[in-house]
Amino acid sequence: MERAAAAAGPAMEGGGVSRRTVRAGGPTAAGAGSRQASTETLDSPTGSHVEWCKQLIAATISSQISGSVPSEGVSRDYRVYRRPVIRALRDGNKLAQMEEAPLFPGESIKVIAKDVMYICPFMGAVSGTLTVTDFRMYIKSVERDPPFVVDVPLGVISRVEKIGVQSHGENSCGIEIVCKDMRNLRLAYKKEEQNRLEIFENLVTRAFPVSNGLPLFAFSYKEKFAVNGWKVYDPMAEYKRQGLPNESWKISKINSTYELCDTYPAVLVVPTSVKDDDLSKVAAFRAKGRVPVLSWIHPESQATITRCSQPSVGPNDKRCKEDEKYLQTIMDANAQSHKLIIFDARQNSVADTNKAKGGGYESESAYPNAELVFLEIHNIHVMRESLRKLKEIVYPTIDETRWLSNVDSTHWLEYIRMLLAGAVRIADKIESGKTSVVVHCSDGWDRTAQLTALAMLMLDSYYRTIKGFEVLIEKEWISFGHRFAMRVGHGDDDHADADRSPIFLQFIDCVWQMTKQFPAAFEFNELFLITILDHLYSCLFGTFLCNCEKERLKEELSTKTLSLWSYINSQLEEFTNPFYVNYENHVLYPVASLNHLELWVNYYVRWNPRMRPQVPIHQNLKELLAIRTELQKKVEDLQREAATRSISSSSDRGSSPSHSATPVHTSV
Amino acid sequence: MSGAPGSRRPAFPGLPGELVLEEAAGARQRCGEGDGSVPGTLLCTNRRVAFLPAQAPGSRAFFHSDYDVALPCIRKLVAASSFAKPKVLTATSTLKFIPEELAVFCRDFRLLRFHFHENGLAPQAFRVANAIAQAREMATWLGDTSEEHNGWSCPAEAPSEKEVEEEEEDSAATLLFESLWDWEKELKRLGAVGWRVSAVNERFDMAPSLPRYLWVPSGLLDHDLKRTFAHFEERRVPRLCWHHPGGSDLLRAAGFHPASEPGSEDVRCLEALLLGGRGPCVLVDTAELPTLADIQLAHLKLRALCLPGAAAEEKWLSALEGTRWLDHVRTCLRKAVEVALLLAGRRCSILLQETSDRDLNCLLASLVQLLGDPHARTLPGFQSLVQREWVAAGHPFPHRLGLLHRDSPQEEAPVFLLFLDCTWQLLQQFPAAFGFTEAYLLALHDSSFAPYFSTFLFSCQRQHGRGSPQQRLHSQTYTPVNGWRDPSPGVRGVGSAACSLPTIWDWGLRYSQQQRVQFRNPVGAAMQHPDTTDPQTPGRPTDAWPGPGSVFVLTKGTLSPQPFPWRTSRPPLRPSRRAPSLESLSEWGGNLWGSLPPRPPPGLLLPCATGPSIRLWHRCYLRGLPKAQRGRFAPSPDGLAEELTLLQDRLSAWQAAGLCTKTTSGPPAPSW
Repeated sequence: MERAAAAAGPAMEGGGVSRRTVRAGGPTAAGAGSRQASTETLDSPTGSHVEWCKQLIAATISSQISGSVPSEGVSRDYRVYRRPVIRALRDGNKLAQMEEAPLFPGESIKVIAKDVMYICPFMGAVSGTLTVTDFRMYIKSVERDPPFVVDVPLGVISRVEKIGVQSHGENSCGIEIVCKDMRNLRLAYKKEEQNRLEIFENLVTRAFPVSNGLPLFAFSYKEKFAVNGWKVYDPMAEYKRQGLPNESWKISKINSTYELCDTYPAVLVVPTSVKDDDLSKVAAFRAKGRVPVLSWIHPESQATITRCSQPSVGPNDKRCKEDEKYLQTIMDANAQSHKLIIFDARQNSVADTNKAKGGGYESESAYPNAELVFLEIHNIHVMRESLRKLKEIVYPTIDETRWLSNVDSTHWLEYIRMLLAGAVRIADKIESGKTSVVVHCSDGWDRTAQLTALAMLMLDSYYRTIKGFEVLIEKEWISFGHRFAMRVGHGDDDHADADRSPIFLQFIDCVWQMTKQFPAAFEFNELFLITILDHLYSCLFGTFLCNCEKERLKEELSTKTLSLWSYINSQLEEFTNPFYVNYENHVLYPVASLNHLELWVNYYVRWNPRMRPQVPIHQNLKELLAIRTELQKKVEDLQREAATRSISSSSDRGSSPSHSATPVHTSV
Repeated sequence: MSGAPGSRRPAFPGLPGELVLEEAAGARQRCGEGDGSVPGTLLCTNRRVAFLPAQAPGSRAFFHSDYDVALPCIRKLVAASSFAKPKVLTATSTLKFIPEELAVFCRDFRLLRFHFHENGLAPQAFRVANAIAQAREMATWLGDTSEEHNGWSCPAEAPSEKEVEEEEEDSAATLLFESLWDWEKELKRLGAVGWRVSAVNERFDMAPSLPRYLWVPSGLLDHDLKRTFAHFEERRVPRLCWHHPGGSDLLRAAGFHPASEPGSEDVRCLEALLLGGRGPCVLVDTAELPTLADIQLAHLKLRALCLPGAAAEEKWLSALEGTRWLDHVRTCLRKAVEVALLLAGRRCSILLQETSDRDLNCLLASLVQLLGDPHARTLPGFQSLVQREWVAAGHPFPHRLGLLHRDSPQEEAPVFLLFLDCTWQLLQQFPAAFGFTEAYLLALHDSSFAPYFSTFLFSCQRQHGRGSPQQRLHSQTYTPVNGWRDPSPGVRGVGSAACSLPTIWDWGLRYSQQQRVQFRNPVGAAMQHPDTTDPQTPGRPTDAWPGPGSVFVLTKGTLSPQPFPWRTSRPPLRPSRRAPSLESLSEWGGNLWGSLPPRPPPGLLLPCATGPSIRLWHRCYLRGLPKAQRGRFAPSPDGLAEELTLLQDRLSAWQAAGLCTKTTSGPPAPSW
């Protein structure tokens, strides 16, 4: 069983930990010492090829989830969790034998059931032990070699239902688990009364803790990270980075008790000249009190992106003098342009409907210098439906002859295109038109967040770094009250809730599309984006819990839970794009055309074992990078050494070292 | 003929026999979507449309891949002006207005746009546009007019020494399969014991479209071999393509001649050729692959779709699916995987059989080798593969690419481009397994339309060899007693000089050093030196596997026994005795996509062909769309590798310095 344990071990743990140590042994051959290149580090090409073959088989045969893959390469992209408890590794043999789940610190087992059948759509039924903890559902079968593992955080579960599984025997009953991350799981087990009840009840209770009056696991998670991710975002620091406050914009504490707007952050940036009284009147005129506030300012032109919710114009064309003046002030703050563009993300027709219901949009008569543009983006319900269709065509089976037209029919990429196109228009207005823009939809927390965040990503290279992207999410999404808890439905059993919608997923998809079009412009890699999405659902971290800053403060998330950024930032090398070149001051305009958008197969179709990326190429690249870093360091060290020596014994040699190097094989 | 004195344009290094017909100085080539454009001179010659940028890059290659288009490669010529409707120009329908812009739609999916600035240019613009329209019709196919070209003159500037070195290393590694030596060398590399090179077709009298040399079983004398030709279409007999290190053989042949009725002696020879005491023989026909007409239709649709504004944005994917191009790619890959798995799984010989043996057999044979042979995935290995399975094997390039004027349209079918697309798919799925890059494939794709090179100019070796007495000469030095001894290693060079046109593999003629650096994949390049063909190929259980002599046919991923046609009257060889291992084999084949074989042998690529895995080659097909012209290539690992080398150089230099100055004990450099 040694093998099995070894197989399960490294795959389950964090990649940073298990990553084969790369020593810059290879290049030594070039060195004066003519040291033998150590072969295991050089990773002889054939060797790695052989290895990936093994990995490929393992990946295919073992399971749908990363956990069981014995090799780091193939599973790398899908590994979501950090190293589990050390204990699991120490007496791994026994544990593997027992098919028991590895646990996170703070995680506790709720039920263990033997002889549960997992009906895998790709490789048939596998019988093993099911463990339900307060965090995960874990099935392990040592029937297969390497052991087969399904490891699902309960947070991804959207629905649990009993199903008939007659084909698996008279006494069997089954459970179907519908997940938020594009897969469904089916279990079957014998009807032994006590057992059966326990499994189903436990699963339901633990999967939907909020509905059952239990805390989310994030509050029990006790991992220790070297970095504190809660410190990543400091609004004051971020605004300072943008050059704020300045003569036109001030940092306002008016919302410090969340009285002006309970879904906004405490720290806001508003025009200097606006008085607090007027601001309150504007808040009264804007839906949910979400007044126009600054998201981003162009460092040169001072053109700004401001965000807000719809004005309460209503059927009678109500006006608000303070609001009109406020927008005029925003326009005036930018001397480069005598216009203000208002991007209403909605469809014109929908905005009209909203107007009849008391909402609406800025009329050009009331806002004479403003130009209103509708971006015609559909609402959350359309997006939810689109994702549902997408899931249908990717899981579990793919109709390959109609694959492309099926993707077409979900309209998913079409909606991605519209978002990107909208964001490009915003970015272009700011950059080329030097014109300030106001972005809103209805409430200003879904489409608005998507558009402003994407536009900022295009405009500001800082947000394309790992830390910068974390700040962007913290700022535009979390602090400005994207209703994560409601849109995702954390721990809630109402799977049909009409408020759920994959808005944030769409945003990340758009970001991924941009990384495809500008492969060197982003410091992070695909794994980073997938990890964010996985923890959007997992409820392991506090990052995506609650609906707004006020709630988050009340729940004391920053003290009672851990931040996803703690996990990510403590192993940055895992998430770094080897090709990253800091294109400072470059504005990226992605091509928002369907023939340049692709379905994000590595995310949406990842449970299909056939879709596994077949070559862990980024492993190679990472090794290259590691070698580069090490070499750079060596060169610097030697240079420094040489410099100091030449000072101490200056007579030594006049000439600089000659080019004696033999050609080096960078066989990586 | 212009070349007027005092013209400011940089020197134009013409091709041999090339005449400048018309030129317009001060034209601009648009690049990208915006207003960006490059000023320069637009030339129309009797060979091509060329654009010379005013700020000429340091050295200009003969044919600049970014600026030039060969006349036969022009698919459509459209002149536009703000005063008139855009007009498609042909030789008979000439221009009636002064064009402001000229759009050249190319067969290789490029779209070149030239525009002419307001004043002073009008007559020139008019003349050059008409000249192009005329020249296009007049353009002759170089392959037909061998008198006209007497080789290439020396390039204007001699390439730097280093460049030459590199070039030579590269092209020397590419086997052209024109000389016996190449065939011997490759056979040796394959380690195909039991096979020999036969010169039976040296004068192309056995089979005109086959190459001079054939790989045939050692046990079969030329005398016996001759008996077999008549029984195959176009007399294209079975011969070896590739030998798997595990012992299996890949053969290709044309269809059995329907009218042939081999006598018993012929049957003996045929079976010796096909079975030859090796494993059982599996016939793989191309019935499941797309037909030539399918390929052509799909390619036409794809071309139409990739024109600007061709498809409604929302329906793009459906329209793409409607072309069926990706379906064809998928089918070919799938078939190749089946064959590659069979070859790797059991010792057998597989005969690829296509009626003509000149189209899909080329594709299948080369794909299978790409999957199974790491050497074929290196740059020289790939070039040798194309040279052997396409060029030497007699793929009728000029007809299939539609570059011949008088060509009947139904002969056009870009099978080779389909192959390049399949290769690109493999490259996408196994980026580390290839020594070349997407940029290289793109260059090869475009080169198939540039008719200044001997490689794709001819339909078979016989045609190619016509104008080259040298070739015939040295084939006469063959001495059958001791096998071939190469008179001089430089013979290839001699041959190509005599053969007047350079091969396409002389990339330096069209691509700058900088561009060529992009051809190599340093990550994959490491794969070039595997520990040779691993000798300890696992011994395969042969107990349940039927022995030599049995014949099967592979259809829809399953094997079924089927006798050779001349044995149909007799009872099947092994009636209904289905060996147990056949099930597992059929599982491998038919059910391949459900579960992979327990252990794919090392070096074998098993691409995934499901819907999402087969993708559109954006950088190739969407080049004509204005939006796509930006940032054509993602940065490659190349830069990184270069940087590493530099660092290592510096490091060793510093270390050497450290050694000299510091003679004290202890490690001279930090140990690492």
